[in-house]
Amino acid sequence: MSDKRNIQDQKRRLLAEKYELRRKLYKAFSKDTDLPNDVREKNRCKLSALPRNSSFTRVMNRCVFTGRAHSVYQMFRVSRIVFRELASKGLLHGVKKASW
Amino acid sequence: MSSSSLRTMLAQAAVRGVAEARATIFGHVLNPTGQRSAHKILRKSFIGEKVVSWYPNDIQREDPTVVARKEQERLSKLEMLKRRGKGPPKKGHGKRAAKRNK
Repeated sequence: MSDKRNIQDQKRRLLAEKYELRRKLYKAFSKDTDLPNDVREKNRCKLSALPRNSSFTRVMNRCVFTGRAHSVYQMFRVSRIVFRELASKGLLHGVKKASW
Repeated sequence: MSSSSLRTMLAQAAVRGVAEARATIFGHVLNPTGQRSAHKILRKSFIGEKVVSWYPNDIQREDPTVVARKEQERLSKLEMLKRRGKGPPKKGHGKRAAKRNK
């Protein structure tokens, strides 16, 4: 819950949210074919000058309990191991072992 | 036959007219030639809020007594290890640093 990696990831999320609008704007401008080339270049430079941690691709959906980066389900925000533990105890509403 | 090509031309013109009228009424952005456009990037909605609210708030962090107690436990554990001689080494003396300096 208070892993070092979770804290770093939260920092990245905050930065990404802060720069989101600007980032979208610069990217849109630099990809518009109707604009003159120097305007596109300028916007491309501005886009690259933004901090790296403000990109959404750097954000990783970690498990909320253990901080595991792989096998994390978006619906529950937990990794598969914790999911199994919680579901077996019955703490997840509407989740039961599949058999058909 | 020229009559069928005339008919197809008229049909195409009609469809184009309808599309343009629809765009002006509803405010759509038209791109009949299919060129690259920035509209694709601009039309998506923002996801920032959803991204930020991934980690739930840890209520233990708000209670100062709990925070202080945990910090105290961490420090006392560190002290115990140091007393035994098992604490962290000085800077530049660890296994990796020694290998690098040699």
